[in-house]
Amino acid sequence: MGTPCHFALFDLQPGFNLDLDLLATRYRELARSVHPDRFADAPEAEQRVALERSASLNDAYQTLKNAPKRARYLLALKGEVPLEVTVQDPEFLMQQMQWREELEDLQDEADLAGVAVFKRRLKVAQEELNESFAACWDDAAQREQAERLMRRMQFLDKLSYEVRQLEERLDD
Amino acid sequence: MALLQIAEPGQAPKPHQRRLAVGIDLGTTNSLVAALRSGISEPLPDANGQVILPSAVRYHAHRVEVGQSAKDAAAADPLNTIISVKRLMGRGISDVKHLGGQLPYRFTGGESHMPFIETVQGPKSPVEVSADILKVLRQRAEETLGGELVGAVITVPAYFDDAQRQATKDAAKLAGLTVLRLLNEPTAAAVAYGLDQNAEGVVAIYDLGGGTFDISILRLTGGVFEVMATGGDSALGGDDFDHAIATWIIAEAGLSDDLDPAAQRRLMQTACAAKEALTDADSIDVVHGDWQGLLTRAAFDSLIEPMIARSLKACRRAVRDCGLELDEVEAVVMVGGSTRVPRVREAVAELFGRQPLTEIDPDQVVAIGAAIQADTLAGNKRDGGELLLLDVIPLSLGLETMGGLMEKVIPRNTTIPVARAQEFTTYKDGQSAMMIHVLQGERELISDCRSLARFDLRGIPAMVAGAAKIRVTFQVDADGLLSVSARELASGVESSIQVKPSYGLTDGEITRMLKDSFQYASDDMVARALREQQVDAQRLLEAVEGALQADGDRLLDAEERMVIDLQMEELRELMKGNDGPAIELQTKRLSQVTDAFAARRLDSTVKAALAGRNLNEIEE
Repeated sequence: MGTPCHFALFDLQPGFNLDLDLLATRYRELARSVHPDRFADAPEAEQRVALERSASLNDAYQTLKNAPKRARYLLALKGEVPLEVTVQDPEFLMQQMQWREELEDLQDEADLAGVAVFKRRLKVAQEELNESFAACWDDAAQREQAERLMRRMQFLDKLSYEVRQLEERLDD
Repeated sequence: MALLQIAEPGQAPKPHQRRLAVGIDLGTTNSLVAALRSGISEPLPDANGQVILPSAVRYHAHRVEVGQSAKDAAAADPLNTIISVKRLMGRGISDVKHLGGQLPYRFTGGESHMPFIETVQGPKSPVEVSADILKVLRQRAEETLGGELVGAVITVPAYFDDAQRQATKDAAKLAGLTVLRLLNEPTAAAVAYGLDQNAEGVVAIYDLGGGTFDISILRLTGGVFEVMATGGDSALGGDDFDHAIATWIIAEAGLSDDLDPAAQRRLMQTACAAKEALTDADSIDVVHGDWQGLLTRAAFDSLIEPMIARSLKACRRAVRDCGLELDEVEAVVMVGGSTRVPRVREAVAELFGRQPLTEIDPDQVVAIGAAIQADTLAGNKRDGGELLLLDVIPLSLGLETMGGLMEKVIPRNTTIPVARAQEFTTYKDGQSAMMIHVLQGERELISDCRSLARFDLRGIPAMVAGAAKIRVTFQVDADGLLSVSARELASGVESSIQVKPSYGLTDGEITRMLKDSFQYASDDMVARALREQQVDAQRLLEAVEGALQADGDRLLDAEERMVIDLQMEELRELMKGNDGPAIELQTKRLSQVTDAFAARRLDSTVKAALAGRNLNEIEE
């Protein structure tokens, strides 16, 4: 192993549109061969190596499974690490504020049905973003746009985490 | 049918022999030991045919009594009889005070922050009390199976934090058990059910024991048990149902709630008996002293409703954490004695919209599953393919950052093993040390999280504020135990610790307890140590021989091969003598020179798995 590319680890072509079921199947096959449970009875050296290999396998799997992480990883593979703050996205900034305000209103009104609707809309928005990213990430001329989309994906991912937290609070 | 193999003490079993390993459910109320015999996993009975060992320990001046007779003495000798000790594992003195009047013991502090219970035999830590229970189970297993154990899988609530896990591992060590793995109780139950019923799909395990509650959601696919999310409450269980009834009796009977320890124990026994009777009866007459009152099932149900609600909330959260809806759960399994309470079953059925499975005895299912895993881990081949359990951490792990906030490094429900690094910097010019404060929990403020450990990274070279780059790496192993290391990247200054929980025993305390333990009279201790060193050495030799045979020619050049052969020869020579420490040292040396070989072998199995080849084909 020791290979820098997560895709190669799973014997998959680098790309954004992944067959997630195939990824999961490959993950289970690999996990079977390196999991520390297979080495519970082995010399300490093998146990230690198994622990490290399993941990990096799990990390690679998490990175490829999650769309924003996969997007970020692909851009990093393409060249320089994403430029962080330099890419501006004023248009999305407005949208971010809107999403947040809506979420706050839902919290104030303890509106569980509203949260369910919000979740569905969020999911649609995420799927649209995924499609847009898949169409442009590989094109050097659209690098900035790809980074912008990746950052939007990250935001929506964080937002869906916040929705789960809100659901938890409303569950009290 | 597997033949029972008997290994003479000091003689390592041959590789083809079945190696003896057990699963132990160390419960709040009851404990069990199970083993695989003739291909069937079953709990092992004691001489009287009882499989359940009540988790009660009574200390006499010169002996220890464990089990039913100790439990029966709880009211007569409340201060020396310890019950539900699991609730104290990995807890600090302040936590114990929080549990408050529920506990009749006299506590004292030790060298560590762990509370010690004053008994007629001197102060006892919860770890020692648990070890006394484990010793009885270990003895039972060795007598029944007719040989020394290779090791044990010990189950813990999935929701146990790092300190509680470490305490459990320490207890096993004190009892002279090799821990093959700490296994989460719901995962163990899933193994028992999954194999029994050949299940596939998404399964919820609802595990309400005497003192702890767990909910785990798993995906079962062809022998792989993948935990998607887990949640729970490590202080919620059947004990709390008893307390609710006890509180009701106090109110109804107009008793003072300031009872002496003996009266408190009697009251708890009355309450527990009432709870059990209400499993079948619609109402019962509760008699306590000269008071008598009617408790209906409906009244009991409403007493425990808040606790059931707490458990259901944890269920909803776990399902949400998987990104699923409740109706996507395809089967619900009930585990733990407290799931016998009818209202619990009903409430769980209502939540998931399906009848929960209760075919396997809820008191035994965890030990049965643990024994299956123990057998696999001990290196015995399993009929019907290998199992793989992929578990998660139940609580987020993180570090204290500026302003008393917790920064998460590994979020909850991350699959283990896992390693994650985070970089920090200095905030003062010339800062030469940095305090690393490791925390576990979900809240933002560090005061709301559990403090696991603190250590210092020292010797950072003088730099301006913000120039140093300190990388802190968290590693969680397959037991769910954390180790943390910190490194300043420019200078390479390093500091690492196996996290010794703030509420754990110190190394000194463990050594003292090992010495004190009467099972380890000093001669015995040296002999035992030598035997262990010989067994370890023999195991390593056999493993390396096997590895060389399989892959030596393929993966090693002549020089590498020679180094390994030389070290092996040296170890074989030493094993003819009685110099334990020398054997131990040489074992370590051999292990070191085979490090790179081990890594290459592992990587080649990975490549083979990738190529879609069957692993057994390559190895054999």
